[in-house]
Amino acid sequence: MSDFAGMEELLQDFLIEAGDLLSGVDNKLVDLERAPDDRGLLNDIFRGFHTIKGGAGFLNATELVTLCHLTENLFDKLRNGELAITPEAMDVILAATGTVRDMFHYLEQGTQPPAADPELIDSLKRAIAGELGAASAPAEAPPATVTPASGGDGQPDWNNLFNAVTGLPVVVQPAAEKPASEAVVAVAEQSPEEVIKQAIGRRVTDKPGVSAPTGRRDTEKSRDNSIRVDTARLDQVLNLSGEIGLTKNRLNALRSDILNGLNDTETLHALDVAVSQLDLLVSDLQNAVMKTRMQPIGRLFQKYPRIARDLARNLGKDVELVLSGEETEIDKTMIEDLSDPIIHLIRNAVDHGVESAAERRAAGKPEKSIVRLEARQEGDHILIMVSDDGHGMNAEKLRAKAVQKGLITDEEANTMDDRQSFNLVFLPGFSMAAQVSDVSGRGVGMDVVRTNIQKLNGSIEIRSQLGKGTTFVISLPLTLAILPVLLVRLGEQPFAVPLSMVREILPIEAEQIKEVGGRATMVVRGEVLPILPLAGLLGWPQERVPEYGVLMHTAELSFILAIDSFAGREDAVIKSLDDFRPKGVAGVTTLSNGQIVLILDMKELLGGVGEQRGVSRSRLLAGGSQAVVVA
Amino acid sequence: MADPKMKFLVVDDFSTMRRIVRNLLKELGYTNVDEAEDGAVALQKLNSAPFDFVVTDWNMPNMDGLTLLQTIRQTPSLKHLPVLMITAEAKKENIIAAAQAGASGYIVKPFTAATMAEKLEKIFERLGKTAA
Repeated sequence: MSDFAGMEELLQDFLIEAGDLLSGVDNKLVDLERAPDDRGLLNDIFRGFHTIKGGAGFLNATELVTLCHLTENLFDKLRNGELAITPEAMDVILAATGTVRDMFHYLEQGTQPPAADPELIDSLKRAIAGELGAASAPAEAPPATVTPASGGDGQPDWNNLFNAVTGLPVVVQPAAEKPASEAVVAVAEQSPEEVIKQAIGRRVTDKPGVSAPTGRRDTEKSRDNSIRVDTARLDQVLNLSGEIGLTKNRLNALRSDILNGLNDTETLHALDVAVSQLDLLVSDLQNAVMKTRMQPIGRLFQKYPRIARDLARNLGKDVELVLSGEETEIDKTMIEDLSDPIIHLIRNAVDHGVESAAERRAAGKPEKSIVRLEARQEGDHILIMVSDDGHGMNAEKLRAKAVQKGLITDEEANTMDDRQSFNLVFLPGFSMAAQVSDVSGRGVGMDVVRTNIQKLNGSIEIRSQLGKGTTFVISLPLTLAILPVLLVRLGEQPFAVPLSMVREILPIEAEQIKEVGGRATMVVRGEVLPILPLAGLLGWPQERVPEYGVLMHTAELSFILAIDSFAGREDAVIKSLDDFRPKGVAGVTTLSNGQIVLILDMKELLGGVGEQRGVSRSRLLAGGSQAVVVA
Repeated sequence: MADPKMKFLVVDDFSTMRRIVRNLLKELGYTNVDEAEDGAVALQKLNSAPFDFVVTDWNMPNMDGLTLLQTIRQTPSLKHLPVLMITAEAKKENIIAAAQAGASGYIVKPFTAATMAEKLEKIFERLGKTAA
């Protein structure tokens, strides 16, 4: 942080707020392409650059100031009607926005950003001068501009000016006039096309992360440790903790009364009331605290229209990304982890989902395709959907492809229904694009998308209709801090398994158990599922025959977890085991009776089983005395 | 220095900027500072509680700083308030527009506590003269 010693906090604030502003600008730019004359939009964008410039000035980020200043000047002319927007100008503007973002990445690293590409600065100046293919209005007023970073001499003599305007006979020379038309110096040797090409080229290669210094991710993480909370929500937390304090005092008083031998009905009733009140207040407080972690998902959505637009343009498609449900709130930590999976799904939709304009015409569809990104809350889950109106997925082709790639066997392919076939795209190494494009189609990605979603205790599902389009549905828990669990018992020991993986609970009866390939299985509604005894997974000796099975789904596998009995369901507050993490344990939680329960990480537990999943029928039934009965 | 208990209203849509101004004022010994995120909110605050000084940005959504200034000058109960404009705009037209609207001072971003102190002093000086 050497460049910003003593200003770290200011820098963090600036980056968060200016980052939001820039995302807003990005979106408005996409809108602007559709409504190039919208004064409101032009004004908003102008203000965005202006505000960023103002803040950057305090950080002495001269290069950022210069770039924002030029862009702002361009928008000033656009909003005043002195210039009209042209596709060429638009590209320069987008390139400038990209560079501003790159500069933010440098700032995140604690280093002053280097100067913007001279070509870009040049293009901007030419655009301002109306020389970039812009239909320039006959602007007679010379743009009187000054680089605000020029220091103290840029300050107008306010008193003189004031006197001048109020009629006192002092002739003023506001400094603003001095360095005047630095911005209008235009270099006209290159053709506009060349300039654009360079500007675009720069934009494509200078994607954040390519040009930004390495290790950016780490800084980003440290920045994201802060959170912005609506003060009303904080006030609520404060209020509730105050009330809990009062109730605690009341309980203390009651305790001394009771310890002093007071146990009449009135005292006990008062105790009852105080405890119920505490109960209510604590759950309210929990909710309120949870709410402080919730952020509207719109913050995340904001950046996608621009990505979709750039991509569609590269591919020569006309795609509009329609957002909805931006106000849906979701846990802050999840917002960060969702960013990449959603980018991938959108790229996928634009690249593979929707057809080219020609194909769409032939299919009788409007040339412009719509990709929707929407979020909504459904019960205790958040649904995020990415849907396109493209050609849909062909289950038949997917199966053939997977067989050809050796990912599944012919027999497996034949037993798959459409839903299962769609899920093939999540297999590592599966790629549907016949030609590997720059954008997607490398077969890495969809499996990563699913893995990332599952890390968040979520699931992803595909719905697709041939000719109509495809929808990816991501389902996520409202928060990561509370995990609904199913409590199961092995002997007397309870364990918690994530409820999101549980489909149903069945009794295990010896006569229903079949042995397939040397392993105990059970047929549930036509599906053959392996039975995995929990004792075996944990490496415990099996002391009796499991009585119940829990039908669970993980990414790769559906199976029946064999257990002894149940203790019900609970909303577990996960406490992680910081320094000590036994294999297969995600964390611990405390039950209402004070007992500590391990929360199992099923994925990790199953990982230990390896290829040889499951046990033989006889071993499953070999626990306890019943072992003899089964042949 | 004028009364350190003076109540300031800092108007800017960029919260980072409000914080900067607030910190600068604090450095100068003025700790009684309230904030508003645009002209409209500022007017509401000005009309509901007494303030001694307004420091405002120019470019803001809803109501910009110039309109705020004009409105203040047209409101009998507020028109005496000193208004210091702070903006990244260093164009002659803007400065003149601010002066014509009755701004008490004008600072171009970025600036230091010293610049701010100097501007404030000049304003207080002038106020003192008018009052005398």
